[in-house]
Amino acid sequence: MHIHAYEKLWLALSIVLILALIGTVTYGAVGPGVAMVADSQSTVDAAALDEDERFSEPRVEQVGENEYEAYIVAYQFGFEPSPIVVPANSTVTLHVTSRDVIHGFEVVGTSANTMAVPGEVSEITVETEEPTEYGLVCNEYCGAGHHVMEGKINVVSQSEFESRGGDSE
Amino acid sequence: MSTAIESEQTFVDKFPDEARVVRAAFLSSFFALLLGAIFGIIQTLHRTDVARIIPSTDYYTVLTAHGVFMVISFTIFFLVGLFTWALTRSLDRPLLNIKITWTWYGLMATGMTLTGISILAGFVDSIDMSADVLYTFYAPLQAHPLFYAGLTVFIVGTWIAGADWFRTFLAWRREHPDERIPLQTFMVLTTMTMWYIASSAVAASVLLFLLPWSLGFIDQVNPTLTRTLFWFFGHPVVYFWLMPAYMLWYTVLPKIAGGRLFSDPLARVVFVLFVLLSTPVGIHHQYLDPGIAEGFKFISMTNTMFLLLPSLLTAFTVVASVEYGARQRGGTGLLGWLTNLPWRKPEFTGMMLAGLMFAAGGFSGMVNAGMNINYLIHNTLWVPGHFHLTVGTAVALTMMAGTYWIWPQISNKPIYSSQIGLFQVVLWFIGMALMSNAMHAQGLLGVPRRTAEPEYSGFDYPTMFGGFEELNIQIAIGGTLLFVSTILFLGNLVLTMGNPKVSGLAEPLPSPVSGAEDAPQVLDNLRLWVGIALTLVVLAYALPIAAIINRGGLLGPGVGTYPVWLAPLFDALADAAAPLFGAVADLSASVVEVVR
Amino acid sequence: MGQSEAANAPTDDVGGEGEDFDPIGTLTLIGIYFAILVLAWVYIYFVEFLGRDLVVVG
Repeated sequence: MHIHAYEKLWLALSIVLILALIGTVTYGAVGPGVAMVADSQSTVDAAALDEDERFSEPRVEQVGENEYEAYIVAYQFGFEPSPIVVPANSTVTLHVTSRDVIHGFEVVGTSANTMAVPGEVSEITVETEEPTEYGLVCNEYCGAGHHVMEGKINVVSQSEFESRGGDSE
Repeated sequence: MSTAIESEQTFVDKFPDEARVVRAAFLSSFFALLLGAIFGIIQTLHRTDVARIIPSTDYYTVLTAHGVFMVISFTIFFLVGLFTWALTRSLDRPLLNIKITWTWYGLMATGMTLTGISILAGFVDSIDMSADVLYTFYAPLQAHPLFYAGLTVFIVGTWIAGADWFRTFLAWRREHPDERIPLQTFMVLTTMTMWYIASSAVAASVLLFLLPWSLGFIDQVNPTLTRTLFWFFGHPVVYFWLMPAYMLWYTVLPKIAGGRLFSDPLARVVFVLFVLLSTPVGIHHQYLDPGIAEGFKFISMTNTMFLLLPSLLTAFTVVASVEYGARQRGGTGLLGWLTNLPWRKPEFTGMMLAGLMFAAGGFSGMVNAGMNINYLIHNTLWVPGHFHLTVGTAVALTMMAGTYWIWPQISNKPIYSSQIGLFQVVLWFIGMALMSNAMHAQGLLGVPRRTAEPEYSGFDYPTMFGGFEELNIQIAIGGTLLFVSTILFLGNLVLTMGNPKVSGLAEPLPSPVSGAEDAPQVLDNLRLWVGIALTLVVLAYALPIAAIINRGGLLGPGVGTYPVWLAPLFDALADAAAPLFGAVADLSASVVEVVR
Repeated sequence: MGQSEAANAPTDDVGGEGEDFDPIGTLTLIGIYFAILVLAWVYIYFVEFLGRDLVVVG
């Protein structure tokens, strides 16, 4: 099979490009340590979230020094808790599920983004820095009121977080 | 097909029955394009808050209609028309039984009509029917049963179309036992092979889960399972849209440019790579889904990245073929030959601009394919920005440009106005450049896709790339230009249909610079490629699907049912409507029976 | 295309030139494209993605 020398060169460059793309993503995983939403959490009965110890009470709780866990329920058409209050300069693991249809969970302008699927639990860990406020939107169509489904993530100072009782309802 | 005969005879002269099918398929395609464009402009102006003529709750009916009419009806009706032309032309023999051909056309048209009715009924409050589930119909959002039933009938139609072409090919093979498969026929057969593999999953999802569920036979489904089966189909379907464009770029564009295809063997390699790699990649649409292990996502990414290869090879081969044409026309210099091309022909300029936009879409596609960078753009407006470059321009603009070339071949009527045609394709390019670029930029701001009102009360978007408002204006202007361009295309075609028939329009296609005799025989061994493709699919999907079923069960971990056809009433009326649900379900079941 | 189509090749004498045709313009254009792809990828991955708040690390 006759292939022109230039086309062979382009074929080689293309393969280099493909390997470089896979390489970049791999670097992101092992260097900065970007991890994917995966199957780390067990399934949950979406119709009986109030019987699940993770989601019976949507909340943010402290689990270690500078380590927090958030349990968030997406529903038609909002998020609980609202707002989600987390402390600054800490590691926060978000657990997100849905009690009805498939929703999205996107912290606007950041790299935090995941699906909220009924029956499944998305687990993502992020590191907060200075106090700030982020918008939260559902980015998957979830019904006729989809466009009103929004929330807030408020990153507050450690002291303010504790003065609120270390918890958000 | 001898030169002497074809140079005198157009396709419609030689194959009048097949030409009638091709015209019917194209007209169905363009009718869908018209509907899709109307919903497109309503949606663009609504989203950008320039003009809101519908309530925001109806936006999702508009969005479902735009998506389904554009990417199911417009693209696939064009495909079956083009493939009927290409197979008949390149085998130089009629289809085996034109009644079978009309049967599959009828099934496709019936199926799409049923699905269309179920979608459009969403606008009429007095009819308890709706399918506002968007093109992806993710459970547990539930459409009216007619939506799923119509899609099923449509897909069965495409399966019979494929069988029609395969049977005709086998008849040709008996008559020509020692010849290479003609390139266009090779493209038809490989594309349909991919389609059979891909559509099997969505058929399984609809027939085993979604349709019985919408009819009330089963109470619930596993949302991750039906979503995974959708994307098993949902990624290869983008190549199903794209392959007609590739066929035109490989076999018609070089002719229009005044040259010949640079390499037949590489064209075959490219189509084989699509058969192998199009399907075991769908999980890259689910990078941010819970319940699927990271390893499966990584495998899907690797396959996806290698799927860039056939498109990168295509870029070279097609541009080289065009360069060859330019140099035949006296072009010189490193890039000076670009001026020796027929830029005044809409069929040429349209396809070239479509290819240029596909190159840009290649970049945003790489980003979409990158596993962890998906956090940045997943479900933002970046994604529709991307696929308006690919299916929305590489495919749609090539189909429109191709129509300017092919319509005279299948009707003996010259195009009404090449000037309008040229203006129209350039207008499409400008409109899409504005709209798509601004959509990508808004995506990076975090603006979500698929929403009626992307402005929120609790926060403002960052002010990069000109800011949210300015980008909205670009989207609205771009979308308006696209709408005008579509109307000009359709108007030009309608006026063309009013032209008298003339003779002497025949345009034979030249053979490649490097011909089929240069291609290894193994490339034509379809059984081998099907075997490898199925193996790759099993490797990519067996374990993830087993894990999903193992985690959530075949029918899902305690998930409810959310029929959108009751959406305006929300859950308050859900109980009261249950008997009605049953009655409508019975009615639909009988409709399904009748259709079958 | 297949032999059945090779038969309908135009009779202009370009077949022999095929071996000699060097698509240098194509190589140039596609080389520029390659450079744009690489630069854009580096920007979007390292600046836009990894440079943002709340990168998912677990």
